[in-house]
This record gives sequence, structure tokens and C-alpha cells, in this order.
Amino acid sequence: MKIGLEMHFQLPTRSKLFCPCPTAPAEPNHNICPVCLGYPGSRPSLNRKALEIGLGIAQFLDCRIEERVWFSRKTYFYPDLPKNFQITQYETPLGTDGRFELNGRSIGIWRVHLEEDPGRIRRVGRPGEEIAFVDYNRSGIPLVEIVTAPDLTSPEEARTFIDQLVIELRALCGLEAQDEQTVRVDANISVGEERVEVKNVQGLRNLERALRFEAGRQSKLIAAGKRVVRETRRFDEERKVTTSAREKETEEDYGYIGEPDLGEFRTGNMLRALDLKETPLARARRLVASYGIAEVTAKQLVLTSSRLTDLFEELCHHVPAERAVAWTTGPISGNWSTLQDQAIWPELVQIVKADAEGHINDIEAKRRILALAGVRQEEASGTEDDLSKLISDYIDAHPEVLADYRRNPKAANTVIGHAMKESRGRHSSKEVVEEVKRQMERRA
Amino acid sequence: MSAPSTYALIQYAQRRHLAFTETVDGLDEGRFHFSAKDNLCALGFQARAGSAVLEGYRPPFDATPIHRLKAAGGQLVGKTTMDEFGFGSFSTNSAHGVPLNPFDPDRSCGGSSGGAGAAACLIPGHIALGVSTGGSISGPASFCGVVGLTPTYGRVSRYGLIDYGNSLDKVGLLSRSAASIAQHFGTIAGPDPKDPTSCAQPPLAGKGRMPSSLALPREAMENLDPAVRKAFQGALPVLRGMGVAVEEVSMPSLRFALPAYYVLATSEASTNLARYCGMRFGRREEELNQHFNDFFTGVRSEGFGDEAKRRILLGTFCRMVGFRSRYYLKSLAVRQMLIGEYRRVFQEHDAVLTPTMPFLPPRFEDIRRMTPLEMYLADFLTIPPNLVGMPHVSVPCGYVDGLPVGMQVVADHWKEMDLLELAKGWEGAFLYTFPEVRP
Repeated sequence: MKIGLEMHFQLPTRSKLFCPCPTAPAEPNHNICPVCLGYPGSRPSLNRKALEIGLGIAQFLDCRIEERVWFSRKTYFYPDLPKNFQITQYETPLGTDGRFELNGRSIGIWRVHLEEDPGRIRRVGRPGEEIAFVDYNRSGIPLVEIVTAPDLTSPEEARTFIDQLVIELRALCGLEAQDEQTVRVDANISVGEERVEVKNVQGLRNLERALRFEAGRQSKLIAAGKRVVRETRRFDEERKVTTSAREKETEEDYGYIGEPDLGEFRTGNMLRALDLKETPLARARRLVASYGIAEVTAKQLVLTSSRLTDLFEELCHHVPAERAVAWTTGPISGNWSTLQDQAIWPELVQIVKADAEGHINDIEAKRRILALAGVRQEEASGTEDDLSKLISDYIDAHPEVLADYRRNPKAANTVIGHAMKESRGRHSSKEVVEEVKRQMERRA
Repeated sequence: MSAPSTYALIQYAQRRHLAFTETVDGLDEGRFHFSAKDNLCALGFQARAGSAVLEGYRPPFDATPIHRLKAAGGQLVGKTTMDEFGFGSFSTNSAHGVPLNPFDPDRSCGGSSGGAGAAACLIPGHIALGVSTGGSISGPASFCGVVGLTPTYGRVSRYGLIDYGNSLDKVGLLSRSAASIAQHFGTIAGPDPKDPTSCAQPPLAGKGRMPSSLALPREAMENLDPAVRKAFQGALPVLRGMGVAVEEVSMPSLRFALPAYYVLATSEASTNLARYCGMRFGRREEELNQHFNDFFTGVRSEGFGDEAKRRILLGTFCRMVGFRSRYYLKSLAVRQMLIGEYRRVFQEHDAVLTPTMPFLPPRFEDIRRMTPLEMYLADFLTIPPNLVGMPHVSVPCGYVDGLPVGMQVVADHWKEMDLLELAKGWEGAFLYTFPEVRP
């Protein structure tokens, strides 16, 4: 099975790609101007920040980057597209021939390019009597499109690929955990010779479902000696099946020409000025290689907090890595809200070091760390039973959590958050997560 | 008899020669007067670019050249008539009146800035903002007997210009004298962050250097009306008398300019015109309760004139997969080749001299009998400098049966002030005549 993806990530710029309109959420048709409405006489000027971020992504994905890049017009008529052409990149994408490492395997990246988002259409009213409203707030929002080679071999792998890429790109763009970011994905999937495009799927969970269905559908067709038709299919979320949207015997002709209003951009100086941050998963790979720790531990560290990982690396300079892991994922992460203060790190290091060198024992080291975190002794002596009761009481009081959990395991986060807060750091995040998962699984 | 007032002349130019689509109700004291071609956006006026599809479009901003002239003490007194979106050489493809030549109202003003040419001719001291894509300033300047400056591509901001071909469009000036153009050109030139293509220009020279050696390509002397050839040749001794050498050269690539221009200009135009679909601005008479494809097809079928439709079809064809490399990409290569050919000439000469138009201002009845291709060929002398984005000026150089003949001088990129220096010198040696006007 071969799966290739076309992903659109919204870039976190303050203003739109070609005009000064804000990108922040607003009332419909509030963040608009003559440029993003395509008024006659208006013209685009490029948001350099978007180009910088896009180039950073292309470089991160190990792409070949052209020295000169320009934009193109992709012409098609649609009510959400104010100029009836989209400004995108055609001949000179920011990057080509890149790759992304997915669990030790290299997934090819065909191209990375910048483009503007169209507006959004909302239909209201009864079927047959619908009224279409167009909101142009989204018109001109900067997107980066990433097209992969058909190197993914299963719907699960496609899902993992997207999850991991999103983690990396969010960190690369400087997005914080609470920042929202739109990711839209179309997929091409072929079980046999002919490929089918699955488009406009809402959400990554549905994309995985759509691909699973499509893989099954194509396999059955082939097993029955029938032909898979090359076409675009959409996913019916209610019935959980894909249905034919249009047959695609030839490529659509968008009549690309260069966008003469923007000119050419030289990437050399911009690339040299780029200072790419180490992304979380790349860092995890480095931690595994440098310190010999387990991959799952490394991922847990980088996904918990980059500062916690910093402390881990600091500890590794003084004590064996397994000790650094034990302390950072244990009492330190359990009391992270106070221990993240870098001013007390030297003292933390001294305690862990004293333990590793046998000057004090584990119990004493833990006591000192908790004292440093300002947790009172008696609270520090909390037992597993407390935690277990805390969690089961909460689930009893909030039965809807279980229902949510059956639909989406992320619902457990509410319980985890509650338990972390109530136990005030007496338990490490690892202990809390494990206990919550154990109880939720048992009850669900 | 005292001279008619400027306001009376504006009214006369509008009523009798259809030079304007709209004018102001009165003139402000102490401000100079200028007009703008109707494809330049201005507050307080519709901007319809000669097209019915833009009926009622009132832009919420001033085009940068208009903004700058206003800031320099100018009053925008009206919008001038033009071919729809600039598509034409005679201003006959206009939904808002066809301007009539100041020298003979049975004849064309040229195009597509025909109204601008007529206004510049009929109103002394008037500055008309024109726009050229393939000769739309030189052509009307020649037929209306005025001076027309087409700047280097990227010299004047296009912010607020309703696009025809973005890689070719240039905002310039028409007026009775090079001196008044020189006075205002510095105001409209210069970088504007709202038009990135204007931001790569070198500073405008304070005073130009008078070109002393002109190249006359022999290819430009073919296919001319004998009367035009004779009038043009009569100008050469006057130039030599000014100390300007004129030498014949060969520029064989000139003949590729016209086809390459029509491919590029219509390719860009066909995308620019995609936005006119009855949503957000302009004409909307179609029923909303139908499929979007039917809706916009209705708007466009009714709103666009024949020439606009022809150019949309031509441009869309040139962009299609399978034809794109044969037409669009090849034309881009022709443009580069032609720039090279001009540069070679500029190694030996300061500028290139040709007649501006191959014939006298034609009668409307003759224009009606012309095929589209014959009309396109009328621009074979103005298209080359436009395609390569080089500045050029057209000045009157003779009169035949009371009708003006123009000559055009092309200089290397950014050398507008050299051209104006030559045009000012020319005005010292050759006397322009203008039709007598009695409003």
C-alpha cells in the first residue's frame, strides 16, 4: 500500500501573507481589506516573516532550496477565492526533494511551498434552500503546503507521520502548547496500480478512518478482479465511508503563470540568517544517541517540556544518565511548577549528584528535593492509595469523562490535570498518568 | 476675445470630445489641475476602466500616483475615457463613450488612453495621467498631438491601477509640453511599499543628459503610411540641427515583439479579469439563486465587451497545459532577447528613434472595417519598448493635412530624464500646433 499526503499548515504570522490584515480570529468579514478581497487596483506585497518561516520548514525537511523563488497564479473560479486565482508557488517551491525521519525510516518530501488560504463558505438553511455565506477573514492567511512521496505504507503510519511532523513544525514555528494551528490534509492512496485522492476530510482521526476504509475498498475491488478508478473521493463522516466526488481522468488545468506583482526573492541571505531551533523529536533522537536512554523516555521528556529536558541534560553532565532519568521523570517532573525556576537548578544538581555519589540515600535526596520545591514533609509522604482514591473519587463524581474517554482517549487529560493539581506534586506526572490510564481503561 | 477658462475647457472636452467619464463640479483655487485615466482608482469617482462589468465600483482608496499629485497641490478634475481595461488602440472599445480627436472629431484619439490624449491637447497646462501596457500613452500622444511619457516599468507605483498586464503596465503622463511633464514626473515617480515592483528603482536624476546619438532601426521604417514617413523624415534635419546624430541601425528582433507581447499581455489579463464575477464589487444584475458557475458566466457574458472576451480566450489558451511552453514561456524568452538587442544598440547610441504610429489618426468608419489583427498591428512601433519595460517619449514631429504625426524616442531603463531633456530641446526647435477651441 502506498500513501502520499498533501498537508497545509497555517503559519503563525501576525498579519496575512500579502496584506497587513491581522490573522487573529474575529467576527466574519472583519479582518479584510482591498488586497485580500481582490479589489481592482489593490495588489499584494509579501509578508517576509512567512517566507522566513517557510524557508525554515524547507530547510528542516532537508529540502533542496532554490536560490531564486517566485510566486504563481493558480486560476480557478470559486466564490471563496476573491481574485478567482490563488497566489501560490509552482515552478519554484521553497523546497524540493526533502525527507522526514519517521521512527527510523526516511519519508520523502516532494515539495514545500507557500500559498494563500481562500475564504470560507458557510451554508445555512434546509437542504435545497441553503444560503451560502462567505467569510473572507481566512482569505490571505499564510499556509505552507507539504507534499510527501507515496512512502507511507498504512493509515496508521500516515497518522503517526502527521502527528510527529506537527510536533516538530509547531516547535520550529515557535508555537506554544496552547496556540491553535490549523492543519488540513488530503491523501493519495493506492493498494494496487491506480491511486485515489481523498480530500476535504475534517480532522486527523477521520483521515485515518477514511484511509482505512479506502484501503479496504480498494483491496476488495482488486480481490474481485475489478478495476480501481482514478478519482477524488470524499469522506462521509456519518456513514464512515468514502464516496466518489469526481472522476479525474486528466489533471485539472490551472493555467499557471508567474505572479508579476511580487517579483523574485533571493533565498541565500535569508537562509544564512535562519537560526533553526532543535525540534522535540530530533532532540529525542539525540538524547537516545548521546545518553543511551530509552526512546520512549526521551520522547516523554521532550514532549513534557523543553526546559525539563534542559535540566535533564544538565544533570547528565554530573551523574549517569539513568539517574538523571529517574530524578527528572520522577520527583522533579512531579514538582515542576516550582522546580522549573532555573535559579535553584545548581542546588538540584548538587542533591542528585550527592545521591549518585552515595553521600546521601534516595529517601534523603527526595526529601531535599521536595523541600527545595517547598512541599511540606507530611504531604510529601503521600502514598499510592491517596492517588488512587483521588482519581476514583473524581471519576465517580464526573461520569461524563468516561463517555468522552470512549470517544477520545484525550479526555483522560481532564482527570490527569485534576489529580496533578489536587496531589500538589506528591506524585510524579508519570505516576499520575499511569494510574489514571489504569483506572480509565478498567472502567471504560 | 479672452481665453476660455480651464473649467470651460474641461466641460468642452467632456461634452464635445468625450474625453472624460466624470468631472468635478468646479475648480479649486490655487491648485493645478490633473486628470486620471479611468483605470486608476480615486476616491470620489467611479473606477470602471471603460468596462460595464465595473459599473458602480467606487474604490475605497486613491491610487498612489493620484495620491501623490494631490499631496503636491493638484486637483483631480476628472476621469478620462479609455478602451475597456486598456484593450485597444483607438479607444473605440469603451463602455463609457468613445473620445473624439481634437484635430478632427471624425477620427480616433488613439488608445487606450484616448481620453487622456484629448484632455491633454484641449486643456492648456493640463496634466493627464495615462497608462501604457503596449503603447497606450505613445499612441494617443501621437494622434492627439501632445507629449506622452511612458516611464520605465517599476518607476511609478501601480498601486490603485486596475490591472491589464501586471508585468507590462506603466503609469505615465501626457501634456502639451515636456516641461510640464518634467515638472510633475518627479512627484509620481519613486518607490512605494504598496507596489513591490516599484521598490527596486534607482533614484530619479535631477536633470537628464541630452542624448546626442539616436539609432533609427530600418525595420521601423517598413509598413508606414507614406505621409507619416515623409513627415517623420522631415524631422530628422531638425534633430541634426540640434546637434543630435541620427544613424540607421538594424534591430531584427523587433518583429518578434508584437506576438510575444500579445501572448504575455493576454495571459496576464485573462487572470486579472477572473475576479470580475459579480461578487464583492461592480456589476451584479444576475439572479443570486443559481449555481455559481451559471451566475458568474451570466455576469461576464453581459459585462465584458467583445475585445475583452477575445483577449480572455487568447490568454487562457496561451496558459493551457501543452501550449504554455510553446507560447507563454517562449514569449518570456523573446522579451529577454529583445532587451539584449536594445542593450547592444545602447552601447553605440543613447536612444532609439522611430515614428510613433504607422498611420495618421484613422476615421471611425475605417476603424470599423479593420480586423482585430490589423488593429493589433497598428502598435508595432510602440510595443517593443513596452515589452522590454524601457522608458519612451512621443512628441509631435510634423503635421499632415492638419493632423499630427508623432515620433518616439526610447532610452535604456531608468533614463526618463534624458528623454525629457531631448523633448525639451525639441520644443525649442519645433513648434507644436493645437486646434483652436471655442467652448
